Amino acid sequence: MKKHFNLVLVLVLAVSLLFSACGKQNGSDVAGTDTNTSSPAPQNDNKPKEKVEIKLSTWAGSEEAAELQAILDKLNAASDTYIIVQDSNPADYDTRLTTQLSGNAGPDLFWVSAARGAQFAARGVMMDITDRMKSSNKPAANLDDYYEASFDPFKKDGKIYAIPWIMQPVVLYVNQDALDKAGVTIDDNWNWDAFMDAAKKLTLDKNGKHLGESGFDANNVVQWGFTLNGWPPVQMFIWQAGGEVIAPDFSSSPIDTPEAMKGFKFYRELLDSGVVPSQQTIRDRGFDQMFRDGQVAMFMGGAADSLDTRVDSFKCVVREVPAGPTGIKATFVDLLGMGINAKTKNPDAAFEALVDLSEEIHKWKVMPPRKSIGSLDNMVTLHPERKDAFAAIVNSLEYAKPYRFYQDYPDWDTIFWNQLMDPIVNNNGKPEELVPNIKPLLDEALK
Amino acid sequence: MDRFWGTFSRWLIVPVALLVLAIALYFLMRLFRLRKDQATGIALISPWLFGFLGFTAFPIFYSLYLSFTDYSLFGKENWVGLSNFIKLFTKDIEFWPSVRITLLYAILTLPIGVFGSLLVALLINREIKGIKIFRTIFYLTAILPDSAVAIIWRQLFNGESGLINFFLSLFGVNKIDWFGNPQFVLPAFVIISVWGIFGTNTIIFLAALKDVPRNLYEAAEIDGATTFNKFRHITIPQISSVILVQVVMSLIGSLQMFTVAQFLRPTTQAGIFMNQLVYTRGFTQLHMGEASAIAWILFVIILVLTLAVFKSSPAWVHYETEVKNAR
Repeated sequence: MKKHFNLVLVLVLAVSLLFSACGKQNGSDVAGTDTNTSSPAPQNDNKPKEKVEIKLSTWAGSEEAAELQAILDKLNAASDTYIIVQDSNPADYDTRLTTQLSGNAGPDLFWVSAARGAQFAARGVMMDITDRMKSSNKPAANLDDYYEASFDPFKKDGKIYAIPWIMQPVVLYVNQDALDKAGVTIDDNWNWDAFMDAAKKLTLDKNGKHLGESGFDANNVVQWGFTLNGWPPVQMFIWQAGGEVIAPDFSSSPIDTPEAMKGFKFYRELLDSGVVPSQQTIRDRGFDQMFRDGQVAMFMGGAADSLDTRVDSFKCVVREVPAGPTGIKATFVDLLGMGINAKTKNPDAAFEALVDLSEEIHKWKVMPPRKSIGSLDNMVTLHPERKDAFAAIVNSLEYAKPYRFYQDYPDWDTIFWNQLMDPIVNNNGKPEELVPNIKPLLDEALK
Repeated sequence: MDRFWGTFSRWLIVPVALLVLAIALYFLMRLFRLRKDQATGIALISPWLFGFLGFTAFPIFYSLYLSFTDYSLFGKENWVGLSNFIKLFTKDIEFWPSVRITLLYAILTLPIGVFGSLLVALLINREIKGIKIFRTIFYLTAILPDSAVAIIWRQLFNGESGLINFFLSLFGVNKIDWFGNPQFVLPAFVIISVWGIFGTNTIIFLAALKDVPRNLYEAAEIDGATTFNKFRHITIPQISSVILVQVVMSLIGSLQMFTVAQFLRPTTQAGIFMNQLVYTRGFTQLHMGEASAIAWILFVIILVLTLAVFKSSPAWVHYETEVKNAR
């Protein structure tokens, strides 16, 4: 009997050992509090504080990660609360992070896209930082300093779940040499007509004739005026026409309104007019590569793409995107944020690290979502190499807006792109034929 | 340094715990009066067994449970009965196109995969000078990761500088937009599947061909059999059991198409493969319940088709030990 008992005991111990080894690592949260509330926990000032390790996950590639590490080194040296440990890996970041968080093994801090941010906020994955933001006196916690739209994806029912660290509007990168050669000038208040006119004059065949000119050889185009392949998003053009794709109250997708249809039709017109290369040519030669190679004269990209400093073969300048037919200015803005794992064992230290790191990233990235840092003068001081670009970028922020993200936005987005935009872009789909069929599906997705 | 020792100790504890568990299991088996060799066998495979139960069997059956829930990866799942399946079959606009392209791909690539690799195996089964180098070259394709294969094929399908469109242009065929035109997406993937005829499948066929007794060919030659007749009446029956295995494995493999399609990202109007749909639903849209349901439907499709192949096998697979018309 004793032999049996010993055997069972050994089995139980071995299994326990195995599970404890395979179980979640407690991490190095030696001095952290063990609460998971949104209110700040009281500090015990009598005990000597030990630094808490805060794990930060990002999608930064090697170059970006090195720059980020320099910032972290500075912060870690200055802080007596935390040590931020970077875990950067762009490969399959989203899936990896989602799996980690789902398995209760996620990092304390993580970068998050706007779409993912909305999903995470609605599902309680990120810590509610509303009260902490209000009670903090650090500059990066001052909500009044942020552009209003920048928190939209990271809010749910009025609560804040992440701090945005970049807000990059879509701007127009222009090959100024090509413009000068074609005698095209860009007015700050230009609209679709002027844009189309410029794109036509910048679409040249091998004999130097432009689109619309007598003798223009459409089969031997050497430079196109513009390019699009689903990017820039059609939403931009719909907004410029005064339309919407998701109603403000998320009740429907008004893509069949005259304004929205104007946006779709202009998109179709750009694709059909000859100013844009065929989708196959774009696929074969590379979307932005064609601009870099001088085969496309105007390219819409994010402000952080910095093509104005990365292209050497011609003078690249940054301009605002054109306004709509009635003068409405609108551009899409990509937002990225940083949130705290709702299950972090160190909410206080994580929040402190979040705010401090956000402050530093706001000074590092173009564009910060904050008015004080993102002012024209300050941006020129911080990034003198892009001094000529900031007027257009800063102006764009005034009317830039993100998609209307919500907790199941990818459901809506999948239908929008796969069923509507993919046929328009890749298969000569006509918006007026597609929209009536797709609208009910989009409305259904919003329910 | 603390992190190092923490990790090191965890890595050390796992094998030690598994070892202790195996030893304890051995004695437990002995207590249940199992023979010494049986108990030893079970104890020795126990680390794999625990891994299989924990990391394969449990997730499989758990996913079946999840397919009846609204699990979103976060929070508690709610039982929704057959809702996920009903939605997929009746309302989901992506599901049926996905089933269609997956099945068509499997049906079209199966003969190419099996007979193509058999053909290559026949070629490299010949005893000519330098044949070992050829065999090595053919096998090299198998060691490339799928992502690299996808990049190579993207270049080959390039409209302007790709070899495939260049080759077709020699016959007056206009440039084809393989990944932009939904009509050509499936043919493009079928062409890519040619890659799969080399490598492992060919090696398995080669081994089977080497195993066919020489004396059968010699006897046939004495009877005046032609090369085709020898292939038809000796080679095929002799390797038919290997063909069966290859058919089943190729079928399963083609129905699970994922990496190459995910890398190439063609127009979605042709439909996306079922495994891609599983991934999108699970990790992009966070509908893990639906993703599990799709995965189980794919499993059922694979199971039915595999059983059909096995069911048909007595008609075309020759086993040395079988007795025809045995009663």
